[in-house]
Amino acid sequence: MIQPPVHTVSLAGLGSGLTQLPPLSLYLHFPWCVRKCPYCDFNSHEARNGFDEAGYVDALLADLEQALPAVWGRPVTTIFMGGGTPSLFSPAAMDRLLAGIRARIRLHPDAEITMEANPGTFEFEKFRGFREAGINRLSIGVQSFAPHHLRALGRIHDGNEARRAIEIALTHFDNVNVDLMYALPGQTLAEALDDVSVALGMGVTHLSAYHLTIEPNTLFAVRTPANLPDDDLSADMQEALEACLAEAGFEHYETSAFARPGHRARHNLNYWTFGDYLGLGAGAHGKISAHDGIVREMREKQPAAYLAGIAAGSAIQSRHKVGRKDLPFEFMMNALRLTEGVPLALFTERTGLPPSVLQAPLQRAEQAGLIEPHPTMLRPTLAGQRFLNDLLTLFLNEGD
Amino acid sequence: MKNIRNFSIIAHIDHGKSTLADRFIQYCGGLELREMSEQVLDSMDIEKERGITIKAQTAALTYKARDGQLYNLNLIDTPGHVDFSYEVSRSLSACEGALLVVDASQGVEAQTVANCYTAIDLGVEVVPVLNKIDLPAAEPERVCQEIEDIIGIEAVDAVRASAKSGIGIEDILETVVSKIPAPKGDPDGPLKALIIDSWFDNYVGVVMLVRIVDGSLRPKDKIRFMATGAEHLCEQVGVFTPKSVQRDALSAGEVGFVIAGIKELKSAKVGDTITLAANPAAAALPGFKEVKSQVFAGLYPVESHDYDALRDALEKLQLNDASLRFEPEVSQALGFGFRCGFLGLLHLEIVQERLEREFDMDLITTAPTVVYQLVMKDGEVVEVENPSKLPDPSKYDEIREPIITAHILVPQDYVGAVMTLCNQKRGVQRNMQYMGRQVMLTYDMPMNEVVMDFFDKLKSTSRGYASLDYEFKEFQAADLVKLDILVNGEKVDALSLIVHRQSAQYRGRELAAKMRELIPRQMFDIAVQAAIGSHIIARETIKALRKNVLAKCYGGDITRKKKLLEKQKAGKKRMKQVGNVEIPQAAFLAILQVGDK
Repeated sequence: MIQPPVHTVSLAGLGSGLTQLPPLSLYLHFPWCVRKCPYCDFNSHEARNGFDEAGYVDALLADLEQALPAVWGRPVTTIFMGGGTPSLFSPAAMDRLLAGIRARIRLHPDAEITMEANPGTFEFEKFRGFREAGINRLSIGVQSFAPHHLRALGRIHDGNEARRAIEIALTHFDNVNVDLMYALPGQTLAEALDDVSVALGMGVTHLSAYHLTIEPNTLFAVRTPANLPDDDLSADMQEALEACLAEAGFEHYETSAFARPGHRARHNLNYWTFGDYLGLGAGAHGKISAHDGIVREMREKQPAAYLAGIAAGSAIQSRHKVGRKDLPFEFMMNALRLTEGVPLALFTERTGLPPSVLQAPLQRAEQAGLIEPHPTMLRPTLAGQRFLNDLLTLFLNEGD
Repeated sequence: MKNIRNFSIIAHIDHGKSTLADRFIQYCGGLELREMSEQVLDSMDIEKERGITIKAQTAALTYKARDGQLYNLNLIDTPGHVDFSYEVSRSLSACEGALLVVDASQGVEAQTVANCYTAIDLGVEVVPVLNKIDLPAAEPERVCQEIEDIIGIEAVDAVRASAKSGIGIEDILETVVSKIPAPKGDPDGPLKALIIDSWFDNYVGVVMLVRIVDGSLRPKDKIRFMATGAEHLCEQVGVFTPKSVQRDALSAGEVGFVIAGIKELKSAKVGDTITLAANPAAAALPGFKEVKSQVFAGLYPVESHDYDALRDALEKLQLNDASLRFEPEVSQALGFGFRCGFLGLLHLEIVQERLEREFDMDLITTAPTVVYQLVMKDGEVVEVENPSKLPDPSKYDEIREPIITAHILVPQDYVGAVMTLCNQKRGVQRNMQYMGRQVMLTYDMPMNEVVMDFFDKLKSTSRGYASLDYEFKEFQAADLVKLDILVNGEKVDALSLIVHRQSAQYRGRELAAKMRELIPRQMFDIAVQAAIGSHIIARETIKALRKNVLAKCYGGDITRKKKLLEKQKAGKKRMKQVGNVEIPQAAFLAILQVGDK
């Protein structure tokens, strides 16, 4: 069950669409990687000549200061440091960054602070330091434990390093996520299940299992591996790994996310419950609500342009208000990823729109057996989870 | 008048007719160099892209001959494809001569032969020209012999030319002057002008292309259409060079355009004779045969609310294409649409393409079919253009299908293969004649078989060398049955076919299999069945898709992922929802991809 939103700010009395502001999260982007992976479409850049660690931390803090007026007074409940490869940074830099954030914004004492890490030797030697800096959740981009699949994915670590990284992470962190991918080039059903078993055997608390997606503008889009598993095999993999994780006591709470009870990713849950997030760093996206609407913004993607922007007073590359007609779709695109769905009331709370705008598409979705007929919940059926895209297209341009 | 030469060019597709026309225009200075684009006479985009001519076009050229005199050469470009042969005969009836252009590396083709015979029948002087003489594969001697053998005209001194490289252009023009007779006619008699073609122009209304036979025509003249008796005031006359150039008058022997403020194309019927209201001619010129649709298909908008837009588009196309027929039709599966009649398959394809391209329509086209005659129990003969409208066999005594006579010209090496193909298509051989290295095969064949894929098959079995010409012969009784396709148990009327009983089993199986390939997997299993009456003869299952979901969606992904889903939604829009199954356009034409046993 999704917790009722806490840490919200009441706007009652302002007489606008939104009566209260949703919880606020903080996303920090670290744009550098040792090597760009062929499947990756995130904003990452190979750091051939190194990068200025202190300069970037200064920029992130300056960025926060420039953004403060938009989120004035609002407490932050989660922080996520993603990339790129944030674990290329030193524990000292992270310590200074988190101290700087605490000094500038009210961070909830219980806040979840996640950092993405690569399972390389260079990184896992720093895990203890990261924990001491205040990071309390680690998300390790393992992808697979099988050497031939790691090679096919262009990863720079091997299976043993991955195991070692998880082991070390678990000695310092109570909450460790492992990212795995399935439907890899040439992968068999047994191999996909092996990867899951290894991670489970090591005692991770959270597991994300992503179907390998060929994204546009990646090397894989240009040179797509020839031996990708077909639709039936990859669906078999998904069903098998879901069963395997359920048996191990993991809850399948979102399309690709599985957690031991009490270990769901709170930062991601805030995205999926259409909460607010301030995105700092090169190419970071943010979504900020105000009494008069919801604004999406993006920072400059190129690290150099971002740094220059910050120095000049703003690194915002684009900013737009989400139109009324886009809101139902954007809300559903997030909320319906959650296996348990969300209360219908959350729709109005987050978008300021009456539930009546959903009536027609909801009816069609129910007829198609994609959504549960429920008076107070928006919850996808099993078919709705499997065919989420078909379910979501029903909400496209439905807000007018 | 003695310095006028009206001529057209007869050639097979790709034998270089339009390129040759370009050279003439260039040579005679009809256009500035900067105005020249490839194949200037083919003005429609589709004509340029496909390298074919659909509508007749003209160019009035001034040529200074070697005898020192100036000649007015009127070139009337003609279409080269069998579907448009009626346009050819129209163009030819405006000419005294025709250049027979034959590719020196390819030889004579059936279509050329047919058009040549039309020309000879109309008393037009045929002058052979060998084109592409500079190709390494050119065999002028052999091709000359072939012209003499097959067409039976003298070809020893045929001009050898290359339109592409500009070789022999002047020689051809000289031959036009010396071999083609000047037009005959009475310049002072009452006006008789034959409408060769007419089309609709958004600015000036109907434009008529005419050949003045007797008399002359000036702006401000009051003209009368002899078939209808309607009278209009002539506003403009002129010629195409191929730019339109206004003239003070058009007189006997000339070919040019007339604009008379006419709003509707049907008032300026092709083949009608124009005369002067003040001094009318006694009798009209012989007109043209009315063209009859040979091939029918249903055209439906993918989105039902585009029905009106489709009707508007068809009406606009019809303004310039009098041979296009359409009438409203309702399909249970496809909703409201139109049953359209075409001259042939190429015509269908062109209309479909123009609707999609020029009018931005998303269309579902049903498989092409022909007209069947039914002899009902009460003796009445009824015509059926749509297979789904075929009544229960108990309601009629006999079903008749149209039979065509096909002339196929093919090099000897491929005769065996082509004969096998014709037999597969239920053809009955009527004649076989050796003409040099080529063989002319004559077959009577059900037209039904020809509209499917015969032409493509013929080309592939003969490596592109065989050529085809055909004409309607008669209706003949045959053992034909209706083959229905059911999707998830529901009969899809737009997929019904009329086939010969012998091939029904095979076609049904193959069609169901093809549909399985073409219909994408959906959220549930889909059964595709083929049936004759209530008897199911084939079944295929399209297994359900297992999932359709984006693996990741976090804070930064919204915009891009939204675009992805919008694309998925747009893709579905291009499919037609039949029951709860989404069927793509291609599936409605699946029968065209079903081979023969």
